[in-house]
Amino acid sequence: MSPQILDPLFAIAALGLIALSLAVVLAKNPVRSTLLLILSFLPTSFLYLMLQAPFVAILQILVYGGAIMMLFTFVIMMINPAPKGGEIPGETAPIRPGAAGFLRTALLLSLLAAMAFIVVPPVYRAASAITPTPISKPGFGSLASMADLLFRDPANNPLTVSFELISFLILAGIIAAINFSRRRGA
Amino acid sequence: MFNLPNSLALSLLLVLIGCLGMLRRRSLILILLSVEIILNGVNIALVSFNYFRWGTTETGHYLYMLSIGVAAVEAAVGLSMVIVLFKNFHDISPDRIAKLGESGS
Repeated sequence: MSPQILDPLFAIAALGLIALSLAVVLAKNPVRSTLLLILSFLPTSFLYLMLQAPFVAILQILVYGGAIMMLFTFVIMMINPAPKGGEIPGETAPIRPGAAGFLRTALLLSLLAAMAFIVVPPVYRAASAITPTPISKPGFGSLASMADLLFRDPANNPLTVSFELISFLILAGIIAAINFSRRRGA
Repeated sequence: MFNLPNSLALSLLLVLIGCLGMLRRRSLILILLSVEIILNGVNIALVSFNYFRWGTTETGHYLYMLSIGVAAVEAAVGLSMVIVLFKNFHDISPDRIAKLGESGS
């Protein structure tokens, strides 16, 4: 694909991603916030496709959107008292409603904008100084290529071992979750 | 437009938006949700570095897979803790939980 086509696509995906993420942070209703985050995975996944990472794009939708975010949705629905208009306890937006709460949000937003103005330009300049290197591997980012990277070359054994060690981390997470969910004294 | 600086700026903005959410939210679940936004920004930085700077292997994609593994575990453990806290206190605001069960005030 020619770079001229990629530019507007990147702009659309990036703006959509930022807008959806801001909506996640600012939304009042927690269920809506979670669903907006799942929706924000669509431009992210599109961005990964543009970065020649099709397998990562599919993982983003399937594993992140389908499994992890569903966990969030289930937990919110589990402890969400429906009669209160979709508010989970403790989430009464700003502590002081009205003008003070608005002021607080405005203060936080301006803090974010100030940090963005301070932090983004140096990163931008430093990244501009890096010379890009073109992709040289055939089939870059495809599932077969990833499998080759992880499981074929013995020189990559550290990668393979650390990848398999993730399963131990997940096992530890499962045991911790089961332990938490046991009734006290049982 | 579609280059490394812009991708990194996008990822940095996502991290800042996640930080905003962590400061603004008053419920542990939504703070965890903001952490997911931060992780999302970091993942974009990993994959774009891999694309623009390191076209010989997919190390960034591999790091992305590690990152979502860690995110899954973090969500599972964090949310089960939130459920336990909700069972005990019927409230999941950090201000309440910071008192560690001392019921006064």
